[in-house]
Amino acid sequence: MSAVAIIAPIVVSSWPAISAAVASAAVSMGFSVAREVANQGLNQDLRAGSNTVTLDVPNCSAVTGTLGRDQRIQMARDAVTVEFSRDARGRDSVCVTGEGFTDVQLRAIGDEIAGRTVQHYVLAKLKSEMAGKGMDLVEETVEQNQSIRLRVRHWQN
Amino acid sequence: MKAREYEITIGPTGEVEIHVEGFQGKGCVEVLRFFEQMIGKTQELRHTSGYYEPDEDVTLHNKQQH
Repeated sequence: MSAVAIIAPIVVSSWPAISAAVASAAVSMGFSVAREVANQGLNQDLRAGSNTVTLDVPNCSAVTGTLGRDQRIQMARDAVTVEFSRDARGRDSVCVTGEGFTDVQLRAIGDEIAGRTVQHYVLAKLKSEMAGKGMDLVEETVEQNQSIRLRVRHWQN
Repeated sequence: MKAREYEITIGPTGEVEIHVEGFQGKGCVEVLRFFEQMIGKTQELRHTSGYYEPDEDVTLHNKQQH
């Protein structure tokens, strides 16, 4: 073994790439993706009588040239509804709504969704870029703490 | 042909830890740079004993797509 690096992710993506990561993260957390909508607000019925918190997604931004309209994807699990959105300026945020949940609980769910979205975005990007460099993914496992571990083999002259 | 082994752990918040194996000397640096350019910014870098062995040439080539 020669080196160990820890890299903090920076997500600069188009909406299709980030929404795919959102959907993948949502499914891994037991959410079902309700729908993807453009230029619409969160369904107001979902908010009636429920608590709502909205969080920014850190280190996440849109690819220049893809801005200009709001994009949203909604998902649900039990009594919790989550809307991941990108505004016209390219800012990503997560809005979590749930009846019977405290703000702290909803914030924790939102933080987890945001983190897992970045995780799945990085996973997809790694797989795509590594394939282009002739690196073979020989093992992919999900750890108990929800980390994703990849073992990669790379043959070189 | 030499086989390199990389172990990559993507944490639940997206933080990535990469163990690069199979190199002698500083050849691992180019591989780590490749991952850094793809993912984000290196926060921590630790070299193990192999890093201080004599260098070998390492070049990353794009795979031919047919």
